[in-house]
Amino acid sequence: MTTVLTSTFWNLFDPFRLLGPIFDKELRVSSRRRRNYTLRLIYVILLTIFVTIVWLSVVKSEGSSAYQKSRMALAGKTIITTIVTFQFFATQIIAVIMLSTSISDEIYHRTLGLLMTTPIGSFQIVMGKLFSKLLQIILLLAISLPMLAIVRIFGGVPWNYVLSSLCITLTAVIFAGSLSLFFSINNRRAYVVIIKTVVTLGVLYFFIPIITGVLLRPRWLYAPVFGNPIVTFPLMIAFLHVNPFGAISVNTATMMSSYSPRTMMILAITPTGSAYFYWYLHCLLMLGASALLVAVSVKVVRKVALRQAVGQVDSVSNQTYDKRSKKRSRRSGEQQGLIRQVTGSPVLWRELRAPMIQGGEGRNSIIGLAVAIIALLITYGVCEDYLDESFTQTGYVMMFTVIGAVFTMVLSSTSITSEKEMRSWPILLATSMDDWHILMGKAVGVFRRCLPIWLLMAGHVFLFICMKYIHPIAILHVPVFAVGLIVFLTCAGLYFSARLKRTTSAVIASFGLALFLWIILPAVLGLVSVFTRDYNTVRELVSANPAAQLVVLMDGAGGSFNARTDISKLNFEWPDNSLRKIWPTTGLLLIYMLIYTAAGVIFAWRAKCRFRHNVF
Amino acid sequence: MIETKNLTKNYGNLTAVDNLNLTIKDGDIFGFIGPNGAGKTTTMRILVTLLEPTRGGAFINGLDVTKDGKKVRRLVGYMPDFMGVYDDLKVFEYLEFFAAAFGIERKKRKSIVEGVLELTDLGSKKNATVDSLSRGMQQRLGLARVLIHDPKVLILDEPASGLDPRARIEIRELLRELKRMGKTIMISSHILSELEEICDHVGIIEHGRLVFSGTLEEIRPRLGIESKVRVKVANHQKKAIELLSALPQVHQVQALGDEIAVTFHKDQHANGIVARTLVNANLDIISIQPERLKLDDAFLQLTKGIVH
Repeated sequence: MTTVLTSTFWNLFDPFRLLGPIFDKELRVSSRRRRNYTLRLIYVILLTIFVTIVWLSVVKSEGSSAYQKSRMALAGKTIITTIVTFQFFATQIIAVIMLSTSISDEIYHRTLGLLMTTPIGSFQIVMGKLFSKLLQIILLLAISLPMLAIVRIFGGVPWNYVLSSLCITLTAVIFAGSLSLFFSINNRRAYVVIIKTVVTLGVLYFFIPIITGVLLRPRWLYAPVFGNPIVTFPLMIAFLHVNPFGAISVNTATMMSSYSPRTMMILAITPTGSAYFYWYLHCLLMLGASALLVAVSVKVVRKVALRQAVGQVDSVSNQTYDKRSKKRSRRSGEQQGLIRQVTGSPVLWRELRAPMIQGGEGRNSIIGLAVAIIALLITYGVCEDYLDESFTQTGYVMMFTVIGAVFTMVLSSTSITSEKEMRSWPILLATSMDDWHILMGKAVGVFRRCLPIWLLMAGHVFLFICMKYIHPIAILHVPVFAVGLIVFLTCAGLYFSARLKRTTSAVIASFGLALFLWIILPAVLGLVSVFTRDYNTVRELVSANPAAQLVVLMDGAGGSFNARTDISKLNFEWPDNSLRKIWPTTGLLLIYMLIYTAAGVIFAWRAKCRFRHNVF
Repeated sequence: MIETKNLTKNYGNLTAVDNLNLTIKDGDIFGFIGPNGAGKTTTMRILVTLLEPTRGGAFINGLDVTKDGKKVRRLVGYMPDFMGVYDDLKVFEYLEFFAAAFGIERKKRKSIVEGVLELTDLGSKKNATVDSLSRGMQQRLGLARVLIHDPKVLILDEPASGLDPRARIEIRELLRELKRMGKTIMISSHILSELEEICDHVGIIEHGRLVFSGTLEEIRPRLGIESKVRVKVANHQKKAIELLSALPQVHQVQALGDEIAVTFHKDQHANGIVARTLVNANLDIISIQPERLKLDDAFLQLTKGIVH
């Protein structure tokens, strides 16, 4: 009897049976992929760099040995916080990218329908895909465990924090991964999945709490969330429990606060304590949300798979597209009107026809733009009292730049690889179009598709110049800054897109380049400069960093005080500690723009050279 | 029109095309046959400027495909062995896009696209999304795309693969129509019986080397295959067998039911003498049918079926 029960239990809950052969196959395949080993190596290198920088900044060589020992606990806390924060962001990004093609790849290779002819169920397909990728990420998390254990020796960091942070990170990763997997069922293009996932997470984690905060002003908005563990507002507490960013922040703030570890543990884990944030409840809620997403995915995957098995269209999106087309044609009365004439450059025409978020007639873009403008206006309302401060204006322009840069990188690095994946690239190359013509079409296409974001930024700058919160010189500075950045990112993205076969690889390479140039390289040089005592090179490099440039520009021209200052009296503080006037700053900005543009042109030329390599 | 001289393409240690010398005349339909991995697709990709040869040269209308790529692309219409489609475009838009890509003036595009749609019998589908088309329709759309810039040379890589018999017949008819329009067509296919019916010349390639190039009739002496005819007479079959057996050109005569199979000695083409002999003997002939060498047989004899 016991044997029967045991075997039944194992049959029901055997993890390998639950995950099925898909899990097994994915693990085999991933073990053969060089990029997984490269990813782990890069992850470890980055982690080491960040930890070393934090270590050097916290543990100074000055002071007595007793003083230095007394700082060990602080060093331990800071290092662990760095590791946790790095893991939290890096693993979520990796999960979204890794799972962006999980189901669409099967649909594209027409293997999903084939799987339906075997005893493998859609549950096993979804779970196998999800957990095989998650296993890679768990491995990344495990890499840092020895480091966390060693740093704990310094004291000041309780095990509970390490455990809770890992759990919060893991559940956030599972949720982000499940969402990416869900979107990958209906979208063939990885970049669409990535964008949809990031936008959805942004809405869930930031937009909804902000909107709610605005609606419930003034009592709720100024609730002390960060730095103070005693959060008493029920709605905020509710948001914290479904928001991993909030959860990890409160968890870290609790650990870094002056409470003793014991009190902190009581606050963090005792339901009857004075703190109302329970990390395990947060993790359970996130797991529940992920389970829901997985359940929906299982259902949809089954539908898509069965459709493919009986030889119908490839994915839901195509059918949806056809339904929409039919609906539109019924509405318009005649089908003829639906055909759009090719105007201008065919490549550019085609790029502009491909919707970023699938939806015909550009309707979704207009809705997206309208939502963005409304959201922007709401945030103006929220920050009403701070709009005349330079840091607020810097924050806004920075936000637009980051969003614009991300879109530029994603769209440019997918523009050719998506053609390769659709197998239309050789056909396009077999036409009599010049390679430069194709390249220009692609580049202009990327710019045109990102234009709404840049126009929003221009609109913001112009509006606040009119309101005298930004100095009019920004009309010159911001475009000069943006041109270099756009050209560089677009051309670099096109190069990776021409160079690599897969969309995901090209997107990762594009982000990797930006990360290397603007974060890793300065960080490594900063590390070196600690020993060489030569800080000039690092400062020069930081001056070339677009984020730093933007801070310099907006710090000098933003805010009501600067906006009313005479142009000749404006001061811009560059990272090399030099205070420059308007024209030297403009000159320096132009030089950087030319450097970025020249680098972009080199990338474009290399992209053109790679056009006819690895065509198939 | 199409010529390759010692064309060679290496992928690392693998030689996909090995000193290939090929000549295809204007207005011919040339069947390019070979086992999987023989180098057919690689050769075609070199001809349409998508790959660069490692050695040797390829010329279309006298233009070097490596040096005059753009001019060559204007001359050639290429249909790959896969259907690369922009799934979110409609049939008309898809064709108009490629018309624009080939630099056709905007005002001429509509009539050209309409014409090509009519030729490929896709007029009723012009408003359908490309992805919603059946495989046969997609192949036709591929052919329509190839024809959009009115190329002199068509290079078609397995255009009939995966099609049902009706769609295959339609494609075949379309190719005949294109031949009548004066196009030079290079076509590869695994369905050898189809090539047999439409091709003027065939080239058989194995291990990247051309093992035969010429007409089907030229294959027979090359393989040392005897020619055969099947004769049906109204009466006196025995007498007919005796008469035919006595002919010096005839190697063997065999009765097969109500038919007589006559096998000639190698290199002998004596169909006329059979008819003359029987008529002179006052025998009523119902039919004389030369037994054609099947391309399948020639293919099997010429290739060893070893894949790279």
